[in-house]
Amino acid sequence: MSETQKIGLFKYDVKNGLGLVGYNIDDHEFAHIIVDIKKCDECSHMMCVWGCPAQCYNFRDQGLEHMKFQYEDCVECGTCFILCDQGAVSWNHPRGGFGITYSHG
Amino acid sequence: MDEETDFDVIVIGAGFAGAATAFQLLKEGIEGDRILVVDRADPIGGKNMTGGILWGRELDAFKEYLGNWEMDCPGIERCINHKKVGFLNNEDALFIEGRFASWDGTGGTEEPSQRSAWSVLRAKTDAWMAEKMEEAGIFVMAGVKIDQLNIDGLEHTSYDARDLTDPSKDSGVGKAQKWKVDSLPRDVVDKIRNGTITGIVQGGEVMTCKVVVIAEGSNSILTRGYDFDTMLHAQSKDDMLLGIKEIIHLGKERIDERFNCFPGDDERPPSGMAMELALSLYREMSHEAWEKYPNTKGLYPRCGGFFYTNEETVSCGIIVQLKSLPEGLHTYDLYQAFKAQPAIAALIEGGEAIEYGSHLCPEYGLNRMPHRFTRDGAVVVGDAAGLVFANGMQIQGMNYAIHSGKLAGAAIGNCISRKDVSAKALDATYTKSLKASFIFRDLKRFKSATKFLNHPSNFTWVPELLGKTANRVFREIGEEKIPAEKVMLKTRKELRKINKANKKGMGFFGIMRLGLLTRKL
Repeated sequence: MSETQKIGLFKYDVKNGLGLVGYNIDDHEFAHIIVDIKKCDECSHMMCVWGCPAQCYNFRDQGLEHMKFQYEDCVECGTCFILCDQGAVSWNHPRGGFGITYSHG
Repeated sequence: MDEETDFDVIVIGAGFAGAATAFQLLKEGIEGDRILVVDRADPIGGKNMTGGILWGRELDAFKEYLGNWEMDCPGIERCINHKKVGFLNNEDALFIEGRFASWDGTGGTEEPSQRSAWSVLRAKTDAWMAEKMEEAGIFVMAGVKIDQLNIDGLEHTSYDARDLTDPSKDSGVGKAQKWKVDSLPRDVVDKIRNGTITGIVQGGEVMTCKVVVIAEGSNSILTRGYDFDTMLHAQSKDDMLLGIKEIIHLGKERIDERFNCFPGDDERPPSGMAMELALSLYREMSHEAWEKYPNTKGLYPRCGGFFYTNEETVSCGIIVQLKSLPEGLHTYDLYQAFKAQPAIAALIEGGEAIEYGSHLCPEYGLNRMPHRFTRDGAVVVGDAAGLVFANGMQIQGMNYAIHSGKLAGAAIGNCISRKDVSAKALDATYTKSLKASFIFRDLKRFKSATKFLNHPSNFTWVPELLGKTANRVFREIGEEKIPAEKVMLKTRKELRKINKANKKGMGFFGIMRLGLLTRKL
């Protein structure tokens, strides 16, 4: 157990976790989630960043000045749509056959 | 209604709810080639993620199509005869453990002695169910996502599918959020929200039917877009949980040994364990987060842990109440804390994570359901309708999904034979039978369970107090013994001192109130 874990702080290597899942990534023009990142500048809570289980949202927590969103790792859970109350997230499922494919579920 | 449609019924979503609807329709006498089931995953099941335990023998109703599903279905992993609930803090784990002979279906005196719970892996289960549907003659299409529903008298080209759920450019914040659909012409919006649904639209092509069944699951775009549930309502954090889990491969023998499982034979599937836990693991993490992001100071994440044994793997994960997530804490880091807790770490030792995934779980109860289950020519079933039961000791959704599918199938069969598929006719059959079923009676009876489940104490001092007290009561370190009650009072005092935010509800009346809530579980 590492020192940080001993005092009760934990970090999950989410990129490693996501590496275990299969994706069929659609082209940018068909991205299933579109984020109006201008609206994010005004956001005070960044709940999408904290809620997203796939680290698709990167913002001030990573030292970035503006929201950086990428849909490729999305696990299609819908959390960001629920947590965003700024009207910035346009959420839909990917086109049929695209996106994540679980082999166990 | 009289003109010929492409299909009688189109089911959107090939999960348990959708499959149950389709099978029930067959039983009602609808021809297989008049039923179309579409799913956005290819292969079917690939988008499905669950905890998950399938409770109850609802699938028995479809034996003629599924045969001995318990033994034959590759995703039905182990029969559960061993259930644990527990309390975890960072060091201590206290479990209540039950092993029940009658759950094996071979022994015990408790009637009925039957297997009624299985750990499931849905990607495999759903793929198998889809095969069985095809064998029964039902049309099944994989990799098809439905963008729009076809509405009588409205060209689907008169609005874009994304208009329904996209925020508009001039959207405000919070309750003032607006969606593009709001700025469409009035008569179009009216039709979208109240017109008669006559089919589906996919890739610009219309397929017509008499009834559309929306079985999209917990993250249903169509129920939002077509006003079964309003957008703001669908966006509410209340009673919405995010599940995060890893599938960890341990190997069959190791699981049999580690969890004392029956290895299975020709007649009986291997047995397994299901465990649900209240977690208080996040004090340090929360305090660190509050320092950086004081907006949500005092908010502890309310998380439950789950741990299920599959045949060769274990499902290990947490569910987070989205409402309780403070700023500064990543949901996946909350999972790591669970995985690293010594009692859990011991269970997965030597294992290798082979899949990571996440899914929403709508524990709506009665308060937050869609405001209607039917429209002219359409019904909603399963998770899409928020039919999930949770009271802290049980969490069930798949059996409700199957049962609601059955009710929908029976109702639709009836309505089609009477040539009336209006909302009124569907309400009189489907909604009525749903409300009279055990699903609604359960949800009603356990209405106050939500209050208990959302109670912060269960995720802060309760697991700590129970764990620490048990630790001290069971231990021998060469000091004089103290009665358990005194140990608990002393521990309580210490915990109150550790931090003030954690103190809430620890007073005499707080504990009484919490105790009273447990009476309704």
